[in-house]
Amino acid sequence: MSTGGHKGATAAGRLSVLVGALSVPAFVGLWELIARSRIVNAVLFPPPSTVAVAVLDWIQSGQFFGDLSASLFRVTVGFLIGTAGGIMLGVLTGRFRLVSSLLSPLFHILRPIPPIAFVPIVILWFGLSETGKLFLVVWGVFFTVWLATHIGVQKVDRGLVRAALMLGTPRRQMLSEIILLGALPYIVVGLRTAVSISFYTLVAAELAGAFAGIVYRIEIAQQNMQTGQVMGGLAALGLLSFVADRSFAAIAERAVWWR
Amino acid sequence: MVAMMHNPLRPTPPLRLVDAPPEPSSTAPEAIIRVENLSIVFDVPRGEVIAVDRVSLAVMPGEFVSLVGPSGCGKSTLLNAMAGLERPFEGEVIVAGKPMLAPRPDIGMVFQQPHLFPWKSVRRNIAHGPRALGKSKTEALRIADDLIEMIGLTKFASAYPHTLSGGMQQRVAIARALANQPRELLMDEPFGALDAQTRAVMQDNLLELRDRINATIVFVTHDIDEAILLSDRVLIMSAGPGRILRDLSVGLPRPRSSAILTDPAYLALKRDCLDLIRTEGRKAFEQMEAVT
Ligand SMILES: Nc1ncnc2c1ncn2[C@@H]1O[C@H](COP(=O)(O)OP(=O)(O)O)[C@@H](O)[C@H]1O
Ligand SMILES: [Mg+2]
Repeated sequence: MSTGGHKGATAAGRLSVLVGALSVPAFVGLWELIARSRIVNAVLFPPPSTVAVAVLDWIQSGQFFGDLSASLFRVTVGFLIGTAGGIMLGVLTGRFRLVSSLLSPLFHILRPIPPIAFVPIVILWFGLSETGKLFLVVWGVFFTVWLATHIGVQKVDRGLVRAALMLGTPRRQMLSEIILLGALPYIVVGLRTAVSISFYTLVAAELAGAFAGIVYRIEIAQQNMQTGQVMGGLAALGLLSFVADRSFAAIAERAVWWR
Repeated sequence: MVAMMHNPLRPTPPLRLVDAPPEPSSTAPEAIIRVENLSIVFDVPRGEVIAVDRVSLAVMPGEFVSLVGPSGCGKSTLLNAMAGLERPFEGEVIVAGKPMLAPRPDIGMVFQQPHLFPWKSVRRNIAHGPRALGKSKTEALRIADDLIEMIGLTKFASAYPHTLSGGMQQRVAIARALANQPRELLMDEPFGALDAQTRAVMQDNLLELRDRINATIVFVTHDIDEAILLSDRVLIMSAGPGRILRDLSVGLPRPRSSAILTDPAYLALKRDCLDLIRTEGRKAFEQMEAVT
């Protein structure tokens, strides 16, 4: 009967929720067992309990929040600047053939170079300053957002533009409303990619030399052979980018509000 | 072979069949829309397409004129030129005394697709034009609300376009075009995408609307019934490149409704149109045969 099938489906659903909830604890438990069984070197491969203690120390020492805010600042500000620039230039190159002829070839050459490759020159230009770190994040975010916006603008329904023209829409509003909102579904996809790119570039920026930051802390711990702290740092970074991605997905869902 | 081909850019006298009205003299009322010897050519990868071929026509203030012709004959291109969306290759379009070089808010346009702004509610879609022209928000929304009432969509004022049926969306598009109180309204197969039933209702609505808005209307369609039902004059275009074959006055009394579809005068008119279109179709076909 269909009700039976339905119940079966619900039961299967419950089971998969249960297994899903157990996935991480089971993995952590297994890791703890293996690490304690001395099959592996516990210094290089510390059990989760050691990692937890290291993280607690990190928080209690007061360094954690300093590191967190330093990293968050770089990611957030870099993301915002890169996004603002990418959207503005994407609208211009997508809409005006002349601007596109001027800038697109250049951008297409620079875009495929992995932002990490710019670390050496950024150190020469900016030393270990915050500017250099922001530069790397902005650089990574900018090209992704620019390309998504450029393509989105070119795909804006011509009929909408013509309708807006017939209604006397001023040039400014044409760009800031019709073109921008018309391209928004594409831009949002680009922004989500840019969120993860901003974390990649953050890693490069902090590894290149910093005075605070989650990745900086990982590197210091590695130099002191504090593997528990290294893994704690990785876990913190993972959690942070996970939360960023999920919140962005939630925002993106609402950004295209008319769907 | 090539020499035999008709070159539409070489002047040949404009083809006019029967009963074209005399050119308006200085004592006659001034035409509000005047198309003079207009040609429009598109560059395409394989060369050029002549979409409109030396068309001349005049529309009097308050007139309802339909352009009828097979698809691809240049109706949309001609209408877009009247809207300022397409530049003349040759000749010119003059509306209310000024040549059309760019869209103007005193000219409204309704396209075959509604092209509503998907991010705006019905109310704000209609208020878009008045806002763009600098009216205050309150004033723009008041205009929108009046029009929403007129099109009978009060319940849907705050709905988004994608939640409406095709017919409702097109009614919003008409209201949006009317919000700027255009003196001329251009409509490009506005009911072409609708089912027969909705279409009939929309035609009746437009007839009613017309009495209230006091605008000159140019209406593109490939449906002869629709053209005769709605218009004061029907211009019949040849297969592409578009030229005007015949200019027919529809002497049927107003107010009209779909009841006239069985009127003998209506049927006679329709037979005229169909004969013309059939002859033209055969001519075009023979021309093609001769070339190949
Ligand atoms: N933007 C364009 N570029 C190239 N060719 C076009 C363009 N617009 C229309 N045409 C061509 O011009 C001719 C007339 O098109 P159109 O005005 O849309 O006809 P209709 O509205 O009567 O169906 C067609 O052959 C069409 O392919
Ligand atoms: Mg058309």
